[in-house]
Amino acid sequence: MNDDPAQRHSAFRFHGNWQEFARIAFPNLLLTIVTLGIYRFWATTREREYLWSKTDFIDERLEWTGRGIELFIGFIMVFLLIGLPIIVIQFISQGLIFRGQTAVAGIVTIAMFVLLFYLSGVAYFRALRYRLSRTYWRGIRGGSNNPGFGYGLSYMWKNFVGVLPIFLLVPWSMISLWNERWNSMSFGPHSFESTARWQPLMKRYLLFYLVPFLLFFGAITLAVAAATSGADIGALGGAGMAVGGILVVIAILGLYIILPLAALAYYSKYFRIAVGGLRLHNLEFEFRARAPNWILFFLANMAIVICTLGIGYIFMPYRNWKFFIDHLEAYGEINIDELTQSETVVSKHGEGLLDAFDVGAI
Amino acid sequence: METFFNVWHYDGRSAVRRKVEIQTIGRQFFLLENERRHGPFAFSDVEYVTRKEDVDVYGLTDVDGWRLMLSGPVPDELSELLPVQRKYGGWVDRLGLGKATIAFTLASAAAVAIVLLSPQWLAPLIPDSIDRQLGDALVGDFGGRFCSTPAGDAALKKLVNSLDRNPQDLQVEVAKIDMINAVALPGGKVILFDGLVKQARSPDEVAGVLAHEIGHVREKHVMQALLRQMGLAVVLGGVDGNSGALVNNMLAMSYSRESEAEADAHSMKALGTANISPVGTASFFDRLSELDGSARDGDNGQGIAGYMSSHPLSRARKQAFEKSIVKGRNYKPALTPTEWTELKTMCTQDRKAKSGFGFEFE
Ligand SMILES: [Zn+2]
Repeated sequence: MNDDPAQRHSAFRFHGNWQEFARIAFPNLLLTIVTLGIYRFWATTREREYLWSKTDFIDERLEWTGRGIELFIGFIMVFLLIGLPIIVIQFISQGLIFRGQTAVAGIVTIAMFVLLFYLSGVAYFRALRYRLSRTYWRGIRGGSNNPGFGYGLSYMWKNFVGVLPIFLLVPWSMISLWNERWNSMSFGPHSFESTARWQPLMKRYLLFYLVPFLLFFGAITLAVAAATSGADIGALGGAGMAVGGILVVIAILGLYIILPLAALAYYSKYFRIAVGGLRLHNLEFEFRARAPNWILFFLANMAIVICTLGIGYIFMPYRNWKFFIDHLEAYGEINIDELTQSETVVSKHGEGLLDAFDVGAI
Repeated sequence: METFFNVWHYDGRSAVRRKVEIQTIGRQFFLLENERRHGPFAFSDVEYVTRKEDVDVYGLTDVDGWRLMLSGPVPDELSELLPVQRKYGGWVDRLGLGKATIAFTLASAAAVAIVLLSPQWLAPLIPDSIDRQLGDALVGDFGGRFCSTPAGDAALKKLVNSLDRNPQDLQVEVAKIDMINAVALPGGKVILFDGLVKQARSPDEVAGVLAHEIGHVREKHVMQALLRQMGLAVVLGGVDGNSGALVNNMLAMSYSRESEAEADAHSMKALGTANISPVGTASFFDRLSELDGSARDGDNGQGIAGYMSSHPLSRARKQAFEKSIVKGRNYKPALTPTEWTELKTMCTQDRKAKSGFGFEFE
């Protein structure tokens, strides 16, 4: 049985609606509050069950089989293995500072941050692995046999190298890490192949990178112009104030509007290139959201959260997933007979590590 | 048994979707697909997975990806044999949302209450050796900030001996820090800040404050507050990134109103036993509350704020000390004028002691 998704409108379709999601999200909020947050693991699970079950890939819905208890166990493990040692380490380093051994305390603290950075890399990897291993399509799941400890090291040195030349190699480190992450993943018998290139990202990155400089020089130019013209129309007095006001407005525009817009423009390109470089056997992927889509998406999210005085925040998982699926596309073909069960190991604990570091989805 | 509702099956080995019929034999069943027969499977191994739209999805224990998908009216004979659906997760489903909410609320309230109350019961159970080690690890030599001169030490020792029956358990020090504050730390450590000693008008004032801090030690308030803080950190949202500020928090630790009253009572009793007048302590509080209003812009503002935040001053506290004055009693000064001068100038004389905080305090 062969399916050719290229002939269809879209291989991925999302059928959910926010009213249905609300019937899950509000009880979740209630239960999360009355359990002092402990229910949030089960809440996440219920939300994913809904979102996945409303997502079609070709002719069958996805299935989320993760359990709340897995996320909970993951969280407890992180607390015992990382949280408590961190408290102890900070306790010790505080004691060292009191004893005047500031240098030793500094080393201990730096070592702790390096370790945390390493672990956050491992966390990214394992979260993706966990999500793939709990996602079923036609009874087949994904996963990885790689525990992600090596990825943690890559995460450290690649980020370091990316930042080292005054942040200019950040696109390289982001794409390179994306490729490394996905090349370790598989679905059914097939490995993902990720061959995204970072060079096409540079133009967009430089745009984002240069915005602060452009703003800075723009402001300088204006200030110089104001100073020179101020000599002529100094009698007006108000002119200087007006120019000052314009400068303030430009600075605010730059900080709160132009910079985030440039960041979004960069991120949209990054995500498009990253997903575009992904391949699963004979399937190719594409992410079609462009910068204006992302900007509208974020503006709408902000409007929803603000207009509902924050309650709208509980709809963000729904909005994120819908945005993701609506713009995700796959081409190529799948041979259903060849798509056999994944042989990868399945860990019993969820993405506690990622949860602990509080980094976002996808 | 023939059925007319729809049954689909994935065997978990490949992604091929199979239209099947269920043939029930006692507590087991076969899945009939054209000429093929899958099974037998035990109903007791069937587990509920999820619901996709109008389709109930079941899995089979230990068979990864095995799925049985039922849509349409499931016959009663069959649904009786299948596991029940899961909505919120174990406990909530069993109790119902309303009852579960109430139960969780009560449990959470109990947990918070236990955390707030148990330190009172737990603190005395912590062995002195641990308390002492904690204090040593934490404070050490306070980064060389403790002042010491033979005459000053002798005066301080005399003061402590007159205020406590087991002075050998206590380690009272004057630290070269220009703040009006005094703290009790684990391990029977009491630190008087030089700023407090310097501004005191009589040794009786220092005696009252010192006796109050000794009260915190003797009533085990230090360990209580420590346990309470750690317990709350665990219950309310796990580890927050700031738990390392534990020591700083402890310096600015606010005890409960009851603890403060207990420490005051202890102080008044100790002053009475030592035959030291409480007038000085009362006037000290008086001066502090006056300073609080006027000295915000002065250098002393911070120091007073420090003492005020850890020891909220109230009229009632001052009055309690005033009331404990026994009229006509022949009080003796806590120290002779020579001893008092030595104590007051100890930090000025001791040039080896480091001054101030070499690190961020708040
Ligand atoms: Zn106190």
